[in-house]
Order: sequence, then C-alpha cells, then structure tokens
Amino acid sequence: MTVATRGTARTLAAICVLVAVAVMIEPALAAGIEISVGAPGTVTVGQDVEIKAVLVQDGQPVEGAEVAVTYQAALGGESARVELASATTDETGTAVMFYQQRADDNGEMQVVYVGPEAEPVAPYTFTIEVSPSGEQLYTNQSGVSIPFVNGGLVILVISGVWFFIALAAIYIVRVGRAGRDETTEPVTASTEAGSMWISVILATAAIVTATGMVIVFVRAPVANTHLTDPHSYTRTPIAYMGTTYPYIGFGLDDGIGTESGDAATDGGVLYFEYACASCHGLSGQGAVIGPALMDEIGSFGSFNEDVREGPKGMPAYDEVTISDANLQKIYSYLTESG
Amino acid sequence: MDTLTIWRERLISKTTKPTLHTTYRYWIWLSFLILIVGNGAYQYSKQWRYGLVVTDMRDRISWGLYITAFVFFIGISHAGTLISAILRASKASWRAPVTRIAEFITAVALLVGASFVLIDMGRPERIFNVYLFGRWQSPIMWDVMAITTYLTASIIYLYAPMIPDLALFRDRLSDKVGRFRRYIYETLAIDWIGTPKQLRLLGKAISIMMLIIIPIAVSVHTVVSWIFSMTLRSGWNSSIFGVLFVAGAIFSGVATLILVMAVLRRIYHWEEYLTQKHFLYLGYLLAAFGAFMVYVNINEYLTEGFKLEEAGEFAFRQLFIEDFAFMFWFYIIGGLLGPVVLMLVPKTRTITGVVIAAVLVDVAMFLERYFIVVTGLRVPLMPYEPASYMPTFVEWSIFVAGLAFFLLLITVAIKIFPMFAVWEMTEEHELAISRMSTTDQDTAESVTQGHTIGHDAPRQPDRSQGGAP
Ligand code: HEC
Repeated sequence: MTVATRGTARTLAAICVLVAVAVMIEPALAAGIEISVGAPGTVTVGQDVEIKAVLVQDGQPVEGAEVAVTYQAALGGESARVELASATTDETGTAVMFYQQRADDNGEMQVVYVGPEAEPVAPYTFTIEVSPSGEQLYTNQSGVSIPFVNGGLVILVISGVWFFIALAAIYIVRVGRAGRDETTEPVTASTEAGSMWISVILATAAIVTATGMVIVFVRAPVANTHLTDPHSYTRTPIAYMGTTYPYIGFGLDDGIGTESGDAATDGGVLYFEYACASCHGLSGQGAVIGPALMDEIGSFGSFNEDVREGPKGMPAYDEVTISDANLQKIYSYLTESG
Repeated sequence: MDTLTIWRERLISKTTKPTLHTTYRYWIWLSFLILIVGNGAYQYSKQWRYGLVVTDMRDRISWGLYITAFVFFIGISHAGTLISAILRASKASWRAPVTRIAEFITAVALLVGASFVLIDMGRPERIFNVYLFGRWQSPIMWDVMAITTYLTASIIYLYAPMIPDLALFRDRLSDKVGRFRRYIYETLAIDWIGTPKQLRLLGKAISIMMLIIIPIAVSVHTVVSWIFSMTLRSGWNSSIFGVLFVAGAIFSGVATLILVMAVLRRIYHWEEYLTQKHFLYLGYLLAAFGAFMVYVNINEYLTEGFKLEEAGEFAFRQLFIEDFAFMFWFYIIGGLLGPVVLMLVPKTRTITGVVIAAVLVDVAMFLERYFIVVTGLRVPLMPYEPASYMPTFVEWSIFVAGLAFFLLLITVAIKIFPMFAVWEMTEEHELAISRMSTTDQDTAESVTQGHTIGHDAPRQPDRSQGGAP
C-alpha cells in the first residue's frame, strides 16, 4: 500500500518535471522568427492560388506556428486587411495556404504570424499582380434546378403564343388580299391606294412586338444565369472579414472633428467614430449588446485592459486600431459625462 | 323581301342608329366625361411636377389606389375576351349580341388599366428601363410581357370579327357620315366583300385568336396576382391568389358587361336584341362565379387562419374586425353572396335584379382589390406601429378620371364602330329559324341560297350605293 503510494508519487513527480521542461523550452520560440514566402507573381481572377510560407528561427524550422495570408481589401471607400487563408507549419516549418483569387487587386499582401506566441513577428510583405477575367465566381446555389424548366422554356411559350397571334394577323392580311383579288375595279376612291395597310400594320406590329419581347428576354442582364452570356455582369467585390483582425468600427475612425483640445469632447466624438455607441448606447448608458459604461467604469487601467482584450462578446481593439491617447479621450468622455 | 331580310334590315338600322343619330344629351355626357378626365390630367400634372409626395403613398404602404385601379381595370378587361371567347368556343348561340360590347370593354379597360402602372410611377420615363434592363426573373417583367401580349391579342380579337360589320358600315353609311368616319370604315374594312374565301380566312383568324386568347387572359390575371403573392408579405402569401384573381376578374368583367349593356339597351332601345334572356344568363354566370369566389375565399382564409401565425394574425384582425372589416364583409356578403341570393329568389330574377347584382359586384371587387393591396403592405415587418394610408385628392381625381376615360372611350367608340356583330347575329337568326321550321320550304331555301355574310348581296349594286366616286 505504502509502496504503491510512493511509487505513484514518484511517477507523478517525473511527469511534472517532464512537462515543466517541455513548457520551458517552448517560450523561447517567438523571438527572431523569420518568415519567407513563395507566391506566384501573377494570378487571374478565379484562380486557386497557393502561398507557401516557411518559418525559420535561428536556422531551425518552426513547427506548429499558425500563419495567415492577408490582403488589403477596399470596400465602399474603406480599406482593411482581410484574411484569405491560414495554416499551421509542419515539421519543416512550412505552411501551405490556398485561396481563390476574388478581388481584381490585392494591394499589398502579407503573410503574418498569428500564434502561438504573443510577441510580434515582422510580417512578410509581397505583391501579386492580378489580371482580370470575365468569369463569374459567384453563382447562386440555392433553389432546385429542373432540367428544361428555365428561361428557354419561357421564351418557347412566349414565342409560341406570339406565333399564333402573328398567324391570325397574317390571315387577316390575306382576307384583305382575297377581297382585292376578286375586285377588278377599285371599291372606292380611297381603297385604291390599298386599304390593306391596316392589316399589314397589324401583322407587322404583332411580329415586331413578338421579336422585341424575345430580345428583351434574351438580353436581360441577369446576375446568376444568362441565356447568351453566363458571365456578363460586373461583379461586386465580396470581402470575407477574418476574425483575427481587429474591429475598426464602421470605418469612421479617421479622427475627423477631434481637434477641439478638450479631451472629453473629442472623446465623445471618438466614442462614436469607433462605434462603441453602437453596442454601448448613445451616451454609454448601455444598450442591447453592451453593458453601461458610465457608472462602473473603474480605473483607466482596467478600462484599457477591457478594451484591448474585448471581454466576451466585445471585439478587441489593439493599439494600432485605437491609440492609447484616443482611448484616454474616450475614457475621459465616459467619466465626465457619467 | 323575305322575313330574314326584313329582320336583318331592322337589325342594321338599329345597329347604325348610334352612328347616325346624336342627341344633345350625348354631347352633355361627353363634355361631362371630358371635364372629369381634364381634372384628372390637371391633378396628374401636379404629380408630374412634385412627384409622388402628392399622393399618400409612402415607404411602407407604397401601393395604393393606382395599383388598385390597375388590378381592377385589368380585371374588367377579362369580361370581354373570356366571355366572348369561351362562349364562341362553346358555340353558345345566345352570345352573338353580347360579344362585340364585351370585346370593346376588354380593349378599352386594358388601355386604361395599363396606364395606371405609368401613373403609379414617380418617374414614368423609367418604364423604358423594363425594356432596356428587364430581367425575366422579375414578376414585373412577366406582367409587362403578359399585358403587352394580351393587349395586342385582344385588339386583334376585337378587330377580326368586326371586319364584315365595318364593311357593312362602309357600304351603307359612306354617304351619311363625315369624311373621317368614312375613311375609317374604308381602311378598316380591308376590302371585305364577303366571298367564301374571305369568310374562310377570317374564320381561321377568329378561331386562332379565340383559342389563344383564353390562355393569354388567364395568364394575365394570374401574373397580376403573382406580383403580390411572390412578394414576401404575410397577407399575400397564398398559392390560390392566381385562381382568386382570375375568377374575380371574370366576375367583375361580367358585371361591367351587364352594366354597359343595360345602359346601351336603355339609350338605343336595343331591347329586341339584348333580351331578358341575355341578362339572366349573364346573371347566372355572376351567381356561379360569386359562389365560386366564396369557395376560393374560404380556401384562402381557412388554411391561413387555421395555423395562424403572428403576422397572419395582424392581417386577419385588420381584415375581419378592425380597419378594413367593413370593406371585407361588404365584399363577402354584398358582392359574393348578394348575386347568388338575387339570382336564387324568383322575384329578383329580372333585368333590374341582374343590374343590381352587377353594381354590387363591381363595387365589391373594387374594394377587394383595394384591401388586398393596402392590407398586404400594412402588416408590419418589424415590431413597429402599422402605417396608415388614405388616398389624397390627387389620387381620387386620377382614379375617377380613369373611370371617366374608360367610359369616354366607349362613348366615342359607339359613335364610330358597330356595337353588334350583325353578321354573326344574322347567322344565328338564320340557324334558329331553320331549326324551328326545317319543313318550311321557303326558309330552307333562303338558308341554302345563303346570304353573303356581312355584305349585302348582290354586291355590285351596293357598291354604287355605297358612295363610289
Ligand atoms: C460589438 C459590440 C461592442 C462594441 C462595438 C464595443 N463594445 Fe465594449 N463591450 C461589449 C460587450 C458585449 C461587453 C460586455 C462583455 C461582458 O459581458 O463582460 C463590453 C464591455 C466593455 C467594457 C467592460 C465593461 C464592464 O463593465 O466590464 C468596456 C470598458 C467597454 N466595453 C468599452 C468599449 C469601448 C471603449 C468601445 C469602443 C472603442 C467598445 N466597448 C465597443 C460590446 C461592444
């Protein structure tokens, strides 16, 4: 009994030591990591692109590091870094990432180090030339597609109907002709000129309208399917916002109107510009998503920590997104108004 | 002259009466209509200048009286075509005096109805975008297609059977009417002289149109209903809307036909041709469709109401007991059950009874269109207060002007075009006589000799009589 206990304790101690050693070896990794990237020089929109990143530290490959490839996306006049793909390095320190080229301009691309270390690693910056293509990348996957039940069928039906209308009109034209064939002398003065024009106009109108309708149908600009040209519409850029990149509010964080000199006043503006108000209420009184900030705001230290961390449902704002100075202003706005 | 010729001459003189005789009352009526249409045009000029803000349509209830009028008139337009085509196809012999009027109502109502779409647009010139950028996935596009097709088809269908009568007018009236009308008759009659070949060709044209126009007409009002039911709105979320709209269209179309017939009969003393029988038959049609509409409505509301969802509950409440309850119950009781009761009770089975039923039906169908359009949009999509809508003076003026324009076009058409299909009526009369007395040698002979239809035989003398140079 006693022996068994001692034996177990010894085993546990041994495991603990091993774990401690393992843990102590790990932290050394972050410092001095270097990223090198292999990427194609030019790609076409729609192409699948392979980006290979190799992480080396002190001449040794870095295994198990997470990296991501990002590009500078522009949308509605705003621009942000958007993640395209991420991967974890293998034992050779290599991570291979794939993405489909969707934007027609990538701007400055980067391979960034995501983790596991917190220490910043210099990203690898590069560019890829994008050549446009007419290909439509997005097709609607929803709905049930039934063979032959499509625009072609509609055109067939419309054409069929108009065929009969035109046929009837042609019969009317022939009615007039039959009358004229039988009459040797003109019926009246004005019919001499040929009163048949009315029926001819009728028939022409029917045929022209019919053709016109079919043309409207055929050349209709259509997003998902098109009868003559399946790729004829101009794509709207679709950006996928990655989760690992800081929230930048609604693109209003350009600091306009924050030069009053009074920290609290500027802070009020910034509070809106960084979209804090969208969750925490118009004056920090709390709203559907975020809690009230005015009363229980605490020290700047804890405030700063909360904002940088992004507790629970709140996005994390790092120093790049909100400078300490701006955060200080928001803090004074909240404390002074609260 | 044999009896048939006498009968035919009488019919011709009755048919040409509106064309030849115009009383001062006609001019008063005409000026009255022009006045109303003029006011509508003036009010529209305001809308043109200031935009749709002169109406009460806003972001949430964005369809109102105009779209109601659009649906209403397109509905009326089914009178003609369906009645006349179905009756023609089923060879109902009593149809002959009714068809022409019905076909006129169709063409005229379609013109008025389609223009309400334009009126509803804040920027009417953008209608061209439908042709430039139309997408066939859009129900609006289907609507444009269907209505264009229907308008063309119904004009041809109005015109083709009228050719022999236009020729008759050309031969008989050329020296009695002014140059304008003479020109119209001469051109529109396209050298019709009633030879067997012409008759055969015309018969083909009419048969084709008769058969093709039935599916077109059905598709038109189905597509109009799809504009609603393919929109994500609780009150419009119904698979039976197509049936409801088509049945309602025929329903209101027949009612309008009855009213127009009753008025013309009164003014031009056409009692002999538009008999009680015609009114009663159309009245029975009204009653049958009324009963059918009740059935469709039960289908519509029971399936929705049985599993009532939140938005549906709002829609039901406003329809059954709140804001629109009066309209709704008037529609069900007065408009749908009313005609059934009027036709069931022997005492009201008269022309007056039928006319009353027709008035009820037209009013009820207008209200139905109104509450379908407005209540559908009124159901809030998010938890906010329901919006309100009350047509402004501008909207009412333009709507009333639409009604007046409809009547105006018919009023003018009466003075120009033959309102009876003389040749078809003669044919029917001939058949009726021969059926009644196949043993009668005289009549049998007159039938076998035949009359060159739609044209006075022999034709040469008529030519010279017809104002030749
Ligand atoms: C997307 C919504 C959202 C936005 C935008 C947002 N927050 Fe928050 N914030 C939250 C939520 C949710 C919490 C509460 C988390 C929790 O329950 O602990 C929170 C918590 C906080 C807290 C901690 C409060 C406490 O009592 O623990 C602070 C401080 C704070 N936010 C400041 C800010 C500031 C400053 C901004 C603007 C730069 C901002 N937030 C933007 C959602 C948001």
